[in-house]
Amino acid sequence: MDPRNFTFMFYGFLAAWLIVLLYVISLARRGARLKKELEDVRQLVSSAQSGEAARLEDRVR
Amino acid sequence: MREKIAIGLAIAAAGLLAYDLYQIFLVLPDEAMQGAIYRIIFFHVPAAITGMIGYFVALTLSVLYLSSGKLRWDSLAASVVEVSVIFSVVNIVTGSIWARVIWGIWWTWDYRLTSALVCVLIFSGYLMMRRAIDEPTQRARLSSALCIFGCVDVVIVWKSIEWFRNNHPGPVLSIRTGGGTIDPAMERMIYFNLIALLLMAAALVLVRTRQEATAREIDSLRRLANAA
Amino acid sequence: MPGVQTPGSSHVRPLPAMIGSVRQALSVARKDLAIELRTKESLNAAGAFAIAILLLLSFVFDVTSEETRNIAGGLLWLVFAFAGALVFNRGFARELPNECLDALLASPLSRASLLIGKAIANLAMLLVVEFVSLIVFGIFYDIRWWLHPGELAAAFVLATWGISVVGAVFGALTVNLRLRELMLPVIIYPLLIPLLIAAIEITNLLFSAQPSQADQLLWGRLLIVFDVVFTALALLLADTILIT
Repeated sequence: MDPRNFTFMFYGFLAAWLIVLLYVISLARRGARLKKELEDVRQLVSSAQSGEAARLEDRVR
Repeated sequence: MREKIAIGLAIAAAGLLAYDLYQIFLVLPDEAMQGAIYRIIFFHVPAAITGMIGYFVALTLSVLYLSSGKLRWDSLAASVVEVSVIFSVVNIVTGSIWARVIWGIWWTWDYRLTSALVCVLIFSGYLMMRRAIDEPTQRARLSSALCIFGCVDVVIVWKSIEWFRNNHPGPVLSIRTGGGTIDPAMERMIYFNLIALLLMAAALVLVRTRQEATAREIDSLRRLANAA
Repeated sequence: MPGVQTPGSSHVRPLPAMIGSVRQALSVARKDLAIELRTKESLNAAGAFAIAILLLLSFVFDVTSEETRNIAGGLLWLVFAFAGALVFNRGFARELPNECLDALLASPLSRASLLIGKAIANLAMLLVVEFVSLIVFGIFYDIRWWLHPGELAAAFVLATWGISVVGAVFGALTVNLRLRELMLPVIIYPLLIPLLIAAIEITNLLFSAQPSQADQLLWGRLLIVFDVVFTALALLLADTILIT
């Protein structure tokens, strides 16, 4: 029997879990990025709403 | 609430996986012909089935989107496809490692392997296409149609071991062969691991849909900011 | 007026209505082909492209070797698939100037007939390109492709119809996209791989002197299954795909 039989079984399991792990990490990073983006956009919207009047004055000038 | 369900599913999956791994490595004996390497089947086959179930779920969700026009179905379908692609990749990679030992080569162009690879290509294309289109309804319509046409290939992957002469082993599960081709204890472990992977996939899909919802919220806030 | 349906009711219909929609589809195809014959924009582009690729390929390997015969089907269908993308891109894009697409959708034409009509036009144009390529191929590569003319014609029509239907569906879906020319091939090629494999296998078989009947039957049947499934999906999806 091929001596690599056992090592390759190990590689197989390692590869399977590595792929899932990498996906979970990418998922977590994307989640963090989206959360931050949401905060930024929320701030943008609230500042845009409060800054509306000031901008209108700028435009008149 | 949704986070709690996701965490619960992940814990259930982890518990079942721990039990399965114990059984696979410490209880079940080596296979007579293949030795230790045969254990890859306990991830290879469940990952394939999880992926395929995912594609058919995405197909249903795509039909639901097309008939209702609700973007919620579309983002759910996209999440399911993404997770399914990951499991299909696990399926192909583990199969390739098994083949290196048993066949002596990493890859061969038989119909099972080719159609499985094409399946990953189609649904990776689906995910890439979604990134390239910004307009939500246009994206949803195009991806639903692509998913529906793509599922034709999923059927080919599923049936190819019956239709064509292949290097890939034929069906082993009793529901397809009528029994007698696999030891019942080993077959049971395949199903146990399938349940574990399905639970894990469901948890991942829930996390992913949450992100889709956040992305939609960002989108609508952006529009609001632009309008203001 | 016969043959007029509301978009929602186009799936199950009695025979006269079905003949009506086939007639509608044919008139769409006739319109497209008439435009094409006047401008020749798709045919020139796809034909020139196909011949250029066939010429280039002759530098890739030794054209006189016996090997060529074994890969001839693969070469041809690759060329046809690429040429097809050029044709399909124009299919619905042709209707964009002057809001012709909106006019077509507003007309009493059923959506399914419009889609099938476009597919028929695609089929006709691609078959012309294929025929020209086949002649050029036969001369340059010394392939005797006329050994089984009937079977070859049938195989080409079956395979090309499958490609054309998918091309029409996704041509309609991508027509309004900014990256239309890029997106269409990226989307349709993976979908078409199984069908192209069947087309390549049967073409290789038919180029040989004594093709195996069993294999011919297998690949031919597969092509028919693809055609039926793709056409059915196109008909079912027509109403949701074609929206102004």
